[in-house]
Amino acid sequence: MKRRTFCTLATAGSASLALGARPARAATTVSLWHIFGYSTEPGLINIARFNASRSDLQIDGKSIPFGQLSQQLVKGVATGDVPDLITIDNPTVASFASQGVLEEVGARVAASRILAKDRFFPGSWATTISQGKQFAVPGEVNTLLFYVNQDLLRAGGLDPAKPPQTWAELTAVAAKLADPAKGKYGVGVSAIQTEEGTFQWLPFLQQSGASLKTLTSPDAAAALQLWVDWVQKGYASHDILVKRQSEMTDAWLAGNTAMSLSGPWELPRILRDVKFAWTVMPMPVREGRNIHATALGGYVWAIPKGARNIDAAFQVIEYMLAPEQAARSFAGGRLPAVQDVQPPTDLPRAEVYAAFEGQLQYARPRGPSPEWPRISEALQRAIQQAVTGQQSAQQALATASATIAPLLQRYPIEGM
Amino acid sequence: MSGPAPARDAMRRALVPLRPWLLTLGGVAIAAVYLFPVYWMVISSLKANPELFAAVPTLYPHAPTLAAFRWIFERENVGLYLQNSAIISFSVTALTLVLATGAAYALARTRTFWTAAMVVAIMAVQVLPPPLLVTPMFVIFRQIGLVNTQFAVILATTTKVLPFAIIMLRTSFAQIPVELEEAARVDGCPRFIAFFRITLPLARTGYIVVSSLVFLLAYGEFVYPLSLMNRKELQPGPVGLYSFVGADFADWSDALAFATVFVAPVIVLYMFLQRRIVSGLTAGALK
Amino acid sequence: MSISLRRPTDTTPWRMSRDRFLDSPTIWALLIGAAALFLLLLVGYPIAYNLVMSVQEVTLGNLPSFSRPWVGLENYRQLLADPLFLLVAKNTLIFTIANVAVQFVLGLGLALYFQLSFPASSFLRGLVLVGWMLPPLVIGAVWKWLLGSDSGFVNYALQGLGLISGKIYWLSDPSLSLLAVTIANIWFGAPFNMILLAAGLAGIPADIYEAAALDGAGPVRRFVWITLPLLRPTIYALLSLSTVYTMRAFDLIYTMTHGGPLDSSNIFPVWSYRMSFELFDFGGGAAIATAMFALVLVVALAYVRSVNAERPM
Repeated sequence: MKRRTFCTLATAGSASLALGARPARAATTVSLWHIFGYSTEPGLINIARFNASRSDLQIDGKSIPFGQLSQQLVKGVATGDVPDLITIDNPTVASFASQGVLEEVGARVAASRILAKDRFFPGSWATTISQGKQFAVPGEVNTLLFYVNQDLLRAGGLDPAKPPQTWAELTAVAAKLADPAKGKYGVGVSAIQTEEGTFQWLPFLQQSGASLKTLTSPDAAAALQLWVDWVQKGYASHDILVKRQSEMTDAWLAGNTAMSLSGPWELPRILRDVKFAWTVMPMPVREGRNIHATALGGYVWAIPKGARNIDAAFQVIEYMLAPEQAARSFAGGRLPAVQDVQPPTDLPRAEVYAAFEGQLQYARPRGPSPEWPRISEALQRAIQQAVTGQQSAQQALATASATIAPLLQRYPIEGM
Repeated sequence: MSGPAPARDAMRRALVPLRPWLLTLGGVAIAAVYLFPVYWMVISSLKANPELFAAVPTLYPHAPTLAAFRWIFERENVGLYLQNSAIISFSVTALTLVLATGAAYALARTRTFWTAAMVVAIMAVQVLPPPLLVTPMFVIFRQIGLVNTQFAVILATTTKVLPFAIIMLRTSFAQIPVELEEAARVDGCPRFIAFFRITLPLARTGYIVVSSLVFLLAYGEFVYPLSLMNRKELQPGPVGLYSFVGADFADWSDALAFATVFVAPVIVLYMFLQRRIVSGLTAGALK
Repeated sequence: MSISLRRPTDTTPWRMSRDRFLDSPTIWALLIGAAALFLLLLVGYPIAYNLVMSVQEVTLGNLPSFSRPWVGLENYRQLLADPLFLLVAKNTLIFTIANVAVQFVLGLGLALYFQLSFPASSFLRGLVLVGWMLPPLVIGAVWKWLLGSDSGFVNYALQGLGLISGKIYWLSDPSLSLLAVTIANIWFGAPFNMILLAAGLAGIPADIYEAAALDGAGPVRRFVWITLPLLRPTIYALLSLSTVYTMRAFDLIYTMTHGGPLDSSNIFPVWSYRMSFELFDFGGGAAIATAMFALVLVVALAYVRSVNAERPM
């Protein structure tokens, strides 16, 4: 799509921001630390609209780069300078909650009409609960689909209307289209040693029929070996070890990767920059297993312990999740966490948004577990060990399992 | 004059007019190689996103576009970021020079256990990167009610550069013979005044180097402004850069356009001051 | 240079006591004291804070208060027992030595070269400093692209020149990632070396060289026997500073490789950060920071010895 959509969105946003950024009267101010950095973020527009529509309550938003969020929150907790409201990545809720850093919101949520449990995607709801208590409210979600360069498929003699349905087919297509010497690859995933790597590989583990409890099984090994083979045979770039999902999409946009796994957040810039025919396809299943599983990402609204304006913060949450605000997510490449909002049909490539929405039924949360950072780190390590060839897939997963098993015993995770 | 053989001499003399220009060529080559990453940054800001990641990297933008530059000016108040950066950087430089001068001079002229201990402490203290120091620093600033002010950022950034300034100026001062000041004292001029009249001018080179580097270090500082200030309108450039790097992706042509605009004023400033800096550096020779 | 002489009529009682004050040790104490106090408050406190955290068991829960469970040297013990410790220590050692040495040699070479008088020499020298103006995020990103295996310019150029046949996985090969971040950091640090050495070189009087040339000393001899000894204070300061700054290099590595893959480019500052802010093991992170401080004290002590050995000129 053209810049114009952006421009309209952004100028509307910044104009209202200019209007509403500083409270004119002595209203209650809700301090909000958020991750909405980029101009197309619907969150920024919602904040501006809120400030313009209310005189008794104003949001004082501070945009924090995602990579700094943890550090800033820690600093806030350490110094008692916490905001009233914060957006945090959904798998981190349990670990923050277990350390007493978040306010419990269960009672308020139960009393709220807007935040009724059945409005939300179950997976997303599950991430907000830790040890039976609720500590956050889902904000926006995302999931994974393969972005497919149809021109490359056609050039390789393949029919773009018949996407690969199984792992074997996917690998075959990737093999056909890859030409590593020229920097062209068939498939792209992110195996980086951060939460993003876990986010991308976990669905493969789940689709193989294994789980965190059965990491030493041949199924789990097959899920990891899939990635190992892709890199070693040159179907995927060696650099997947250090590239974030968005960086893999960069390569896809440049026409260097035929099929790249990523989420809806890429849509605004894809629509703006893409120069070839493209579509999306769901993650292929493992032959013989037919298990549909995909990732569940996104952020949640949480109120840190020690926040001063809890009731006001809660009102902000309710505002953000009202249907009108939630519907704005799509244009910004986000999916609302509530199920009762549909993507506007006048959106460019509306069918892609619908495809993402459709995947949410298969999306599985990571955790919740207070030990998720350590579990994730063990998985990341295993992925890297295997893909770099330093260990075989079985060995790597065995090492990971040794770390993860005791963590699972202490805090069992339902469904993992 | 005894010296090299006449033939060698003659050859040298013949090459003399050519030599400076050859060296300039060499200098340009060195600067070009060295600045290549910066060049890459600038041309990348002129490329559309997909071209940035083309399989065959392009040395110049094939379809140059100023869209990114237009975009950043539309979307963000770039001028405000630059202004804040300038305020913070100049203030840090001034404060650092003021604090460092006295300490460096004292450390250069006296030698006791305590001064040695202080040099050790100053040197060692620099090893801790700002992210590890920022939390306790925040506590301090909150106690004195300075959170959310540029003043706090100025103070915090000064702590990062002050040790360097003290050590470098100390070295400069130590190279100025005490005899010059003693001579002034004999003539009835107190040390303090002698310092301003004699020592300081002779340490010009050191000051030029220290102030340029301190300024540049302060200009690029990111952690302290982000952690100590909440209000967007107070933030300097590096923090503004992050509004182009979102949670899930980064729009690199925009981010690089912003970075280009961010460093451009400093380069321009340098070009203007270049003459004075040159004369300062070459006048350092003692007579 | 003229010195203003005091005339007898200028000496009022106030002026005389002021001058006595200006000459007394008190003023020394004040001069150093101002800076010392400043640093003590704003840096000393954070160091003490880290030190205290390193001997406690710290979690997000008890982070705000200072009375946390005392664990003595347990954090340090766990650190040494951590399988990553040796790897990170080795990486830090290699990274530091390579950076300091190569940056120094490169900086010296550049300083000597630009010291020669030719048109635009000082302008070009200043241009080399431009890299310092960029925020680390940008430097890390640009180098990450230049060193990308697929569309990175470095591979492209090397292949074009026929120097390599396949791709080099600069950032994604565990055996090369440390080299990659070292190269980027050397690029970043060499101008700093250059400018300090240039300033030092400028402080050497030209007559000394002339006298030596008259005595028949060639350029190499002049360099070894005049330049280097006179540069000694600058060199010691530079090497010490360079070591300390290299040991705290964080932004560049974090942006380029995050310490990976598999901690192959992980050095102490990066490890400390990840431990505190990704694993929330604050005691461990603080222990690493305190250990870094202790290591650097060695460097600082060496520097002070070199300072004390300076003959007053």
